[in-house]
Amino acid sequence: MKAELRQNPASTLFATPQNSNISSTLTLGGPLSNLDGACIEKLLLHCANALENNDVTLAQQVMWVLNNVASSVGDPNQRLASYFLRALISRASRLCPTTLNFNNATSDIHHRLMSVTELAGYVDLIPWHRFGFCASNSAILKATQGFSKIHVLDFSITHCMQWPTFIDALSKGPERAPSLRISVLSWRPLVPPLVNVSIEDIGLRLSSFAKIKDVPFQFSVIEVGMSTIPQECDFNYDLLLRQLNPSTLKLRDDEALVVNCQNWLRYLPDEHFDSSYLQNDSCRDSFLDRIKSLNPCVVTVVDEDCDLGASNGLGSRISTCFNYLWIPFDALETFMPKNSTQRIEFEVDVGHKIENVIGFEGIQRIERLESCIKFSQRMGSKGFFSLPFCEETKKEVKLLLDEHASGWGMKKDEDMLILTWKGHNSIYASVWVPNREYRENSIQIEFLT
Amino acid sequence: MVEIEKSSSPTAVSPASGESNEEKPNQPSEIILPIKRKRNLPGMPDPDAEVIALSPKTLLAKNRFVCEICNKGFQRDQNLQLHRRGHNLPWKLRQRSVKEVRKRVYVCPEPTCIHHGPSRALGDLTGIKKHFCRKHGEKKYKCERCSKKYAVQSDCKAHMKTCGTREYRCDCGTLFSRRDSFITHRAFCDALGQETARSSEPPADEVAEAAGSPPPPPPLTPSAGVLSPVLSIQSSELPENHTVHLPQPSAAGALSTSVATPITTTPAAATTATTAVSSSSTTSSDHCGVFTSIFNASTSAELSHSPPQMASYSSPLCSMAGLDRPTIDPMSLSLSSSLYGASSLFPTTSHYTSSTQPAISATALLQKAAQMGATSSDSSFLRGLGLALPSSSDPQDNASIMVSTTSSTPLYWNNDVKLENNSMASGLGLGLPSGGSSGYNELMMSQSTLFGDKPATFDFLGLGMGSGEASSAGFSVFLNSMDGALDMGNTTFGSGGDTWDDPSDRKPSML
Repeated sequence: MKAELRQNPASTLFATPQNSNISSTLTLGGPLSNLDGACIEKLLLHCANALENNDVTLAQQVMWVLNNVASSVGDPNQRLASYFLRALISRASRLCPTTLNFNNATSDIHHRLMSVTELAGYVDLIPWHRFGFCASNSAILKATQGFSKIHVLDFSITHCMQWPTFIDALSKGPERAPSLRISVLSWRPLVPPLVNVSIEDIGLRLSSFAKIKDVPFQFSVIEVGMSTIPQECDFNYDLLLRQLNPSTLKLRDDEALVVNCQNWLRYLPDEHFDSSYLQNDSCRDSFLDRIKSLNPCVVTVVDEDCDLGASNGLGSRISTCFNYLWIPFDALETFMPKNSTQRIEFEVDVGHKIENVIGFEGIQRIERLESCIKFSQRMGSKGFFSLPFCEETKKEVKLLLDEHASGWGMKKDEDMLILTWKGHNSIYASVWVPNREYRENSIQIEFLT
Repeated sequence: MVEIEKSSSPTAVSPASGESNEEKPNQPSEIILPIKRKRNLPGMPDPDAEVIALSPKTLLAKNRFVCEICNKGFQRDQNLQLHRRGHNLPWKLRQRSVKEVRKRVYVCPEPTCIHHGPSRALGDLTGIKKHFCRKHGEKKYKCERCSKKYAVQSDCKAHMKTCGTREYRCDCGTLFSRRDSFITHRAFCDALGQETARSSEPPADEVAEAAGSPPPPPPLTPSAGVLSPVLSIQSSELPENHTVHLPQPSAAGALSTSVATPITTTPAAATTATTAVSSSSTTSSDHCGVFTSIFNASTSAELSHSPPQMASYSSPLCSMAGLDRPTIDPMSLSLSSSLYGASSLFPTTSHYTSSTQPAISATALLQKAAQMGATSSDSSFLRGLGLALPSSSDPQDNASIMVSTTSSTPLYWNNDVKLENNSMASGLGLGLPSGGSSGYNELMMSQSTLFGDKPATFDFLGLGMGSGEASSAGFSVFLNSMDGALDMGNTTFGSGGDTWDDPSDRKPSML
């Protein structure tokens, strides 16, 4: 059907009211109530094609139909459709992408700021985030066994929600807890979830928590110069990359360096933009080079398993995105009522991602998701070696999933752990080391314990 | 013998041999839909898998293999065969097939279900059976303790294992059933202040510890109070940035005076200050002391903050706060009201009469839309549909995600642009460089009467923009309003349901 759409000039389809091509093209038989996901997806593609062909009329018409289908308080398909439709409209109405950078646009869109306790509840609504936290923390604990000092470089979008359980786990070790240092950047991508406090405040709270748990703790914020004023954000990652050096980070020889990338890499551009610093490599690749040069003890990477990179065209992105982001909508549907505030807020945040993927191009499309397979190849080409998760970790993750709705599962792909919803991949977690010896040592230790 | 079952799936059906035991009387009715798909199909776990659609009867059937002698039912054929041996009947045990069996995925027969489409198929038979029961079956099993109901017995059993066994209570009073959510919450909870006052922490402080924990702390805990000065400093001391309206913690009010440290932005100082925190935290046992020492340290080493990144987000919000929440007029409603006269497709606000919806196919809608579009010449698609946007719309009408009327025009639109004819298809501004205005002119439909006294607005789908001086703020307002329609924070979205009624009142389920 896609091929059909591309070949027919869309406007001719509607040349005459009697034209019945529509029904055959779209194969939408039956009453509106039977519109299922596949049908909605087709409508979205139809609309996108119309937009790409600059067929305003057709686009409007399809949007009109979609609007009658969509509802953000309906069933998962309807809800999904509403956010997709919104993204398409936003795309269509955007006049001048170059002057309206994404951050500018979103600064004018109301962004919900949560309190930290709300965020704490938010990350536990479904295992979408907690899966990554659990797997990574367990792997980090394993990899840093025996060290008396641990230094975590935390690159994430969840405002350190990962670390309380880590601190708690450190405090429960058989011997005296190692000291923990967490360093974060002063900047993070302008995406949900957002909080109403500063990162320094978060650090303070972690500090007091660690104190209760008798874990010596330090928190540092690394200044990377990127403006937090949305209008001024120029996506200049130069300083960010340059700051990743041993002296700025105050790395110490006696500490175990951990690099934790949680829903982070997808925000680093993968293409080559105009940047003096990044001559040959993309930002993402340069970042990985930098990390490797710090010689970390372990690198944990958690991200969304979906292919929405730079090269995908709009139609392909719509399909891929639609067939991926139905997962959180469906999961929330299983246990939350249709008008639940928490659920709607979560969905709005997913809608934000949809809006970016569908509505923007170029540097403003900051959501550049990469499939775990491709990511794994990328890490390999950068000289990293993957570590398998140990049995203990897998058990822990399984226990976690048991406490959530029964559709959540887990599977293994090479050395990575993948969170699944009804069998479909959602999030992957992986562990890497910068050289082969680390890998061999780790596996030996695992074998002996 | 395989029955062919009517399926509403759009893909072609070709009957093929179904499951085994053709000779058995109770045949599962199924259709096997071989689907040729290219690789990389998003959402499809295995593109070469066979998609199987079983009937509801099959999915719900408990014991479909029945012994002819004693009528005992079995879930699996193998079990029945073994049972038949006991009756001295001839039995047949199927060997596991040697050749590669093609992977099978299963779809839900319920046409409105999200798993009806092949791209959402589930990978195993048990999974689809359980799904069907859970979602479309009746809940026959009930937990004794909490009376939660389940359609699948194993779900109920799994629940009963953990029901009420473990509970974690935070000092703030919130109850948690999972330890990790409890720990995470506790780390950031304002009630943490009480904990640090204790000298040592009992290890078993977490489990169902209502007993022994202090009464909920008064709002003005030292920790919360001390934290707030940090926030208020940032707001008052950085005027060259924007006003920061951080929602203060409830404790905040009184304790905003304790710190008078100027803040500068020096990267080095940030880490110095935070290391000061840690060093003082190891020496000081008094919680208040920890925090006051931060600020003591900062008098020497300037406590530096770049403007809190989250706080800065709120400033554009504040600047927007002055703007009226743009009014949102549900386009679909106005369209449908014109299409169907008195009855509207979705009963919503009092503007529109509510009634039961006719069953309208999407095809028909598209045709109707096309009719409207094709027959109108100068007037817009919307006008042709009888869209009547009042010049003053309802505030906070959030039914539609699309329509809004605002008071300013985006930058690029001049007055009095007209859409010549509907088949004009030029730049929608997708990826257009700054020369977008000409393309957009063509898009715009002159709606001088449509929008009351507001001259030419663009109107693509009734996303009304009034006239006014062109300003980029207008555009952002437009985007804001778009988001406003969906946004929980500002609108009565979902709760109160002033626009969309509960879907059950509407047409039958969309899925």
